[in-house]
Amino acid sequence: MARRDYAQDRESIKTFLSEFCKCDDDGKKEFVYGSQLVKLAHREQVLITIDLDDLAEFNESLAEAVVDNCRRYTSIFSDVIAELLPSYKQQEVHAKDALDVYIEHRLMMESRTRNPMEQRDERNSFPSELMKRFEVGFKPVSTEKAHSIREVKAQHIGKLVTVRGIVTRCTEVKPMMVVATYTCDRCGSETYQPVNSLSFTPVHDCPSDDCRVNKAGGRLYLQTRGSKFVKFQEVKMQEHSDQVPVGHIPRSMTIMCRGEVTRMAQPGDHIVVSGVFLPLMRTGFAQMIQGLLSETFLQAHRIICINKNDEISDKDAELTPEELEELAQDDFYERLATSLAPEIYGHLDVKKALLLLLVGGVDKRPDGMKIRGNINICLMGDPGVAKSQLLGYISRLAVRSQYTTGRGSSGVGLTAAVMKDPLTGEMTLEGGALVLADQGVCCIDEFDKMADQDRTAIHEVMEQQTISIAKAGIMTTLNARVSILAAANPAFGRYNPRRTVEQNIQLPAALLSRFDLLWLIQDKPDRDNDLRLAKHITYVHSHSKQPPTRVKALDMNLMRRYINLCKRKNPTIPDELTDYIVGAYVELRREARNQKDMTFTSARNLLGILRLSTALARLRLSDSVEKDDVAEALRLLEMSKDSLNQIHEHQKGHVPNTSDRIFAIVRELAGSGKAVKIADIMDRCTTKGFKPDQVDKCIDDYEELNVWQVNMGRTKITFM
Amino acid sequence: MPCAMELPSTPDELAAQQADSAALKELLKDPSRWHSIPLLNYTPLHKLKDQTLVRFRGMIQDMMDPEIYLERYEVKSADGIKRVQEGKYRDCLKIATGEVIDYNADGNVHGERRTMFVVSVPGLNDWSKEHEKQCCPQIDLASLGQSPSSAKKRTIVGEEDAMDVDGVSETTFKRPCLKEIQKDSEPVGASKSSVLGSEYLLNSPLPDRPSMACMVKVYDEFDTYQLNSLVDFVGFLSVDVSLDAATLDVDDCENLSELQAAHPSPFLIPRLHAFGVQVLPHANPLLDKSLRQPTEICEESHPTQLAVHKDLRMLLKLCLFDDDLAAEYLLSHLISTVYSRSEMQSIGKFALNLCNLPKNCEAYATKLYTILELLLPASHYMPMTLGTLNTAAFAPKKDYETNKLVSGVLQLAPHTHLVLDETCMQQGKLEANGVHAVQHLAHLINNQELKCDFQYYQIDYQANIPILVLSEGRSMLPSDFVLPINADAKAVELVDESLKAAHHYLQPSRLQQFRKYLTTARTSGFNVSEEHTEMIQQDFVDMRKANVKSNADDLHGLLVLSRLLGIARGKDTLDKETWQLATEFEAKRRQRIQSLPKSSAQMRN
Repeated sequence: MARRDYAQDRESIKTFLSEFCKCDDDGKKEFVYGSQLVKLAHREQVLITIDLDDLAEFNESLAEAVVDNCRRYTSIFSDVIAELLPSYKQQEVHAKDALDVYIEHRLMMESRTRNPMEQRDERNSFPSELMKRFEVGFKPVSTEKAHSIREVKAQHIGKLVTVRGIVTRCTEVKPMMVVATYTCDRCGSETYQPVNSLSFTPVHDCPSDDCRVNKAGGRLYLQTRGSKFVKFQEVKMQEHSDQVPVGHIPRSMTIMCRGEVTRMAQPGDHIVVSGVFLPLMRTGFAQMIQGLLSETFLQAHRIICINKNDEISDKDAELTPEELEELAQDDFYERLATSLAPEIYGHLDVKKALLLLLVGGVDKRPDGMKIRGNINICLMGDPGVAKSQLLGYISRLAVRSQYTTGRGSSGVGLTAAVMKDPLTGEMTLEGGALVLADQGVCCIDEFDKMADQDRTAIHEVMEQQTISIAKAGIMTTLNARVSILAAANPAFGRYNPRRTVEQNIQLPAALLSRFDLLWLIQDKPDRDNDLRLAKHITYVHSHSKQPPTRVKALDMNLMRRYINLCKRKNPTIPDELTDYIVGAYVELRREARNQKDMTFTSARNLLGILRLSTALARLRLSDSVEKDDVAEALRLLEMSKDSLNQIHEHQKGHVPNTSDRIFAIVRELAGSGKAVKIADIMDRCTTKGFKPDQVDKCIDDYEELNVWQVNMGRTKITFM
Repeated sequence: MPCAMELPSTPDELAAQQADSAALKELLKDPSRWHSIPLLNYTPLHKLKDQTLVRFRGMIQDMMDPEIYLERYEVKSADGIKRVQEGKYRDCLKIATGEVIDYNADGNVHGERRTMFVVSVPGLNDWSKEHEKQCCPQIDLASLGQSPSSAKKRTIVGEEDAMDVDGVSETTFKRPCLKEIQKDSEPVGASKSSVLGSEYLLNSPLPDRPSMACMVKVYDEFDTYQLNSLVDFVGFLSVDVSLDAATLDVDDCENLSELQAAHPSPFLIPRLHAFGVQVLPHANPLLDKSLRQPTEICEESHPTQLAVHKDLRMLLKLCLFDDDLAAEYLLSHLISTVYSRSEMQSIGKFALNLCNLPKNCEAYATKLYTILELLLPASHYMPMTLGTLNTAAFAPKKDYETNKLVSGVLQLAPHTHLVLDETCMQQGKLEANGVHAVQHLAHLINNQELKCDFQYYQIDYQANIPILVLSEGRSMLPSDFVLPINADAKAVELVDESLKAAHHYLQPSRLQQFRKYLTTARTSGFNVSEEHTEMIQQDFVDMRKANVKSNADDLHGLLVLSRLLGIARGKDTLDKETWQLATEFEAKRRQRIQSLPKSSAQMRN
């Protein structure tokens, strides 16, 4: 590459700074940097950030050169700005601090006493570092991708790079000397020493002509008032867990922050840093022990906290067009759902519900009342139906999640007790409370085994989205905006269809109604399903990998990013849909009254429908809810109810039809006797709401089955 | 002919050979080349000279940030003569007095290297250590000093060079001895301005069985190294005094602990600049070709797998109160390994819970462990008491003060057996640490993954640690196979005699057979033919029909068990017989679980 002509670059920088402008909405020209220069000149602003997007628009090769040799151009920019500043001064500047006053005095004194012919020692002239009261920073082009620390290598030295990570340690902010100013005890002249490294050797002998020529041996004394200091902070950053390859240790990197970029982050913050990657020149002993080593660091130009500002997320998390296209296929809803825990077969509706839980509904705050948007789901089912695997997968997929089991749940600093069963000698754990991940998913396995006091805490979390803590005399309420995903085993070993849900998992109705969806996952022996499962497992065992499926499961990372994207949408429900939703809700209530439903329908269900439909709209990346969303939400609700109700009929007669119900009535009528009159049956059945032809059909059906015999006159039936 | 080239004996020689790196790689493939290199693990430091060729075997415990170093640099002497010096494979600048290094010379080349913190295999049992030691060439200190070997002759120039370089070459030779004494009497570093104890610096995963540590610097193929894997490095030792950060007066106290953690005393933790590496598939020294096996062992007869299997099963049966089924399961457990991983599952794990141990057998668990210890190359026994759970460090945790991954008991190399003794558990309170410990153990058992705590997040590392839990009742920890022992009343009475007999039975030659057998079985492959796959599938469907409660986990269990039963009998494919044996065993095991007394917790449900 040809060497760049720096002089020419200086000129173009000058033009860029003074002439670059953007048109605002009114069509007015706005001089982005010109106006900033005015502020700098008036000491109203310290940091001027050059957006490389702007620079690239002005001169693309210059922007590239800046990225490649950032340190050099930082000083060129700052020199140019220093040159330009006096012309931007529009009014008398008030001194902001002691150094301003000091500089003003020196300048005045110099102009008074200066003999233009006199040759001055370079050291005694004012170094530009002292005079510059501003800082220059670069903002990388917006297309720049954030690297992980391990991607930053030796070839990046001297370049502007953007790195993503988590802050692990910060030093305090300390003053760092940039220019040391000394006064001579003999001749009184002042000497300036610019400091460029982390340490410096103070000068002792006065270099001024007076002392040198006269051999007066003047001693220099450091003067803090005239020295320039900048704020300085050292930050340690570490890779994110998702940037670490399997089996490796996360890497860390040192970031040096100066001036205005200090105090931008604290340990635990997720940050994106743009800065110059530089080798660190240590002096003295450190150089000796390291000998051949040189440390590296990142001189920060810009630090952004991602967790504080969700809007500006890093470029890494954005989906590429190809990925979006892959997701935008027609069956994306099914695909996303099947990609949840791909190794678990079937249960598509459950997976859809879990997908909506991950995306979440929209929070609403009408006049101070807060309605949560998080969706809570409870999975019930017999032991061994992969509930735990589903929970485990969700807690892995969710960005922030907590996985606990009701039995052994306990958080940091909380205790649990080990109990010995006197009969069997088994050791069991009695759990304490659980930790909740704010803005995340809390997966609780064995929900039914949880201690009562913990469940009480969950009541509050589930509806109010806060958690109250009373400790050491302090009462406080913390935000706990979590979605609860619970899994519960039936209380009697297996789900008993003759009992209600509350009885089956021994949880109070107040708690159960707080779940938007309750699913009963069943595991019925079914030849085809079993064979498929067996094929899958044997394949995994003999081929050491997942069998190829028709629909390729989406990558976990892609799902995560897509869900993140969805969460940014805040869809609203258009007015014309309200009637439809209200109608649907009323229908639900009526159905619940009419049928002897084992579940319950309450006003909470209405909110549940709203949450589910907003989540569905989010999933489509849409800004408004459509009728189809509501319909799907209703369908899911219906399916979840079905999963609970279905089993009842199942157990009664295997054919869930009216004939069975009529048969039950007939049995009842017969009591201990063997014969029943058909007229009686008709009477009884019609009062129960069955039609005569249904009764006839039932009689015929069961006659065929040889359950009873009908006499010739068709007046009486006799049980066999 | 590979013999034309010798292994380099100094960093400079190696640098000269670098041009022909392919030949060097070829040279390192020959296991016999490795034989003559002394093992740092078993050679006292004072017998080794700085910058000699050594080997170190161990487990990668931690990986540090990359270092950028001067690969080649220009040195200017006082009279203005310039020369180029290689910086690879060494820690210190090689400059004579009066010479200065020119940092800005155009000829300077920067390179990147990584430091691995390697500890000798944690939980390596005494017999394996003893055997490795025997394989290690002994260095005679006297001969080293007086009659230089042929290899040394060629390097004399280089060495003289080194002498006047820093003037400490002489002293380094003696220094270690002094240190050695110091180490015994008090922790090194305590006498210095060190802020970190030597135990902290050594970072042994098992604190009561301290391991040796070595900082290995690698120069290429950085991404092939995995945490917790077993490796054998060949390289140059570097024990220069100036590497110890504690010897320096530091004015900048802020990062003192980090500086000292990164630069501990080289006599406590030597440095090794590696140019050859070998990833070890197992820790068994008997089957390691890179070790020079004592001749007498090689000559013995090789009985068939089947015969050894029979003997070993008899032995285990003897130790397990005459319970044949338990012996089969324990044997399967001993040869189990995770052989495949998919996103959510680790296939092949065989966490065994032997419960229903007779209450009246004092310390039976420890006695059983003494037998297992003799059979396995690496294992660890851990009593599950409230004390250990509440106090011991289980999972590794990052210490940001020193930038070190502080190890924990569960940071073990693949195939290190962990035996948990739940019989010594008492009622009481589990503190936060204990709760975490149980969680970590459960996670390890369920997923064969170790969660390392990086404070801001946790990272899962793949593990392959077979876990055996011994308990009276069912264990509080999860397990793949729970097997209540059917103790024979007579056998319970005679348990002490049986164990004594077992020890007596384990003659050295038989022990060697068993040890080899276990490792070979563990590393051998196993296939299932198409036809048998169908049979298995059909069986599963029928099983589901017969018993609704049976589920996918049962099938996983059956597949793993049948594989292990097959391998144990020296087979390499599944046959009907083995499959039926597995189903039969599982049925028996289920029956035993059924007949266990129900605990009050289960009754409540």
